[in-house]
Amino acid sequence: MKETLKLIMTLSIICLISGALLAGVEKITKTPIERANSAKKLSALQEVLPACDNQPDQNECTVEHNGQTWTFYVARNADTYAGTAVETTSSKGYGGDIAIMLGISAEGTTETIAILKQTETPGLGANIETDNFKSNFKQKALEATNWTVKKDGGDVDQITAATISSRAVSDAVNKAVEAYLANIDKIKATGK
Amino acid sequence: MQFVTELIKGLWKENPIFRLVLGMCPTLAVTTSLENSLGMGIAATFVLICSNAVISAIRNLIPSKVRIPCFIVVIATFVTIVDLVMAGFAPALHASLGLFIPLIVVNCIILGRAEAFASKNKIILSIADGIGMGLGFTLGLCALGATRELLGAGTLTVWTGLPKLTIAAYKPIALMILAPGGFIALGCILALMNYLQAMVAKRKGTTIPAPTELDCRHCTICKFGS
Repeated sequence: MKETLKLIMTLSIICLISGALLAGVEKITKTPIERANSAKKLSALQEVLPACDNQPDQNECTVEHNGQTWTFYVARNADTYAGTAVETTSSKGYGGDIAIMLGISAEGTTETIAILKQTETPGLGANIETDNFKSNFKQKALEATNWTVKKDGGDVDQITAATISSRAVSDAVNKAVEAYLANIDKIKATGK
Repeated sequence: MQFVTELIKGLWKENPIFRLVLGMCPTLAVTTSLENSLGMGIAATFVLICSNAVISAIRNLIPSKVRIPCFIVVIATFVTIVDLVMAGFAPALHASLGLFIPLIVVNCIILGRAEAFASKNKIILSIADGIGMGLGFTLGLCALGATRELLGAGTLTVWTGLPKLTIAAYKPIALMILAPGGFIALGCILALMNYLQAMVAKRKGTTIPAPTELDCRHCTICKFGS
């Protein structure tokens, strides 16, 4: 009995110290982590959005489409709709989820994409980050483009030996384009 | 004197990857590029030094029946600290290593050194052991990572932002950066190390000393020595 109590006490004390220490570290790092995350989001937004004079990261439009919640960051220039950016994820990647930021212009074309997160095979699937592949999604008409890879009869030039990764990016873009087209009026009116 | 012995043993004689053959899961997973290997090595070394020091300091207070849960709590605490600090102050590094940091908790090198060394030795020696083992782990990872990246992608990146070596004329063997390539590279480097050791021993006319802390199951040396 006494021994059991000692075991419980020792483990509890160690866990207590560990918990207190972690709470302290969490408190110190909370602000820098938030700042790093928002800086990352902002730089991705700037990369994919056309020129604008508002703060797109604070001008959000949340819509529901296909049972999924989409957050569109709406850019305005001199109070007219300039374009929007949306984060979209595909679970069809080779090494886990692929998250991208898609920019859409006011003229109904894609602006470009930025890869936010990918864990594809280096040298193969990871080549979705190259400009060559990203050019598939640069200034393309939203509705006229078939957002599937050429191997499946679409318009996206897949990377050789990395069809799965190429497919996943196309899938993510396709879902975001559908969500955009279904809610286009609401998005365009955001922040008016 | 003993400090130096404990410090350098991890580099070759008891190298965690090639001699103790510990922590194979993260080893095979992260060594797809030199940069990942280096980052993982540094993070694991930091955790190893801290956990060794703390476990050595509290070794007499922990009843042996609950020592393993205690060690795990200490290790997990340091891993979480590394994770949080890296996310806050080095977001770029965190983005490329984020996935592997939680893996450090289950890295058997760290628990292995806590159990085999830190729980039986003084703080200062445990720190030396942590530094040595950490450096040995980092070196081993880098050797594997460089080999695989060079053969599998035809490039060599020390760190994103620094100039990287690209061999344009080389057609990469994609297999080397996939999972099987990890096993192949590991096997080849292990064989090379054993061969070198056997050559040196033969020239000197000595027999290879069997690593003291290993059992026969983990040892491949006798085949060459006798």
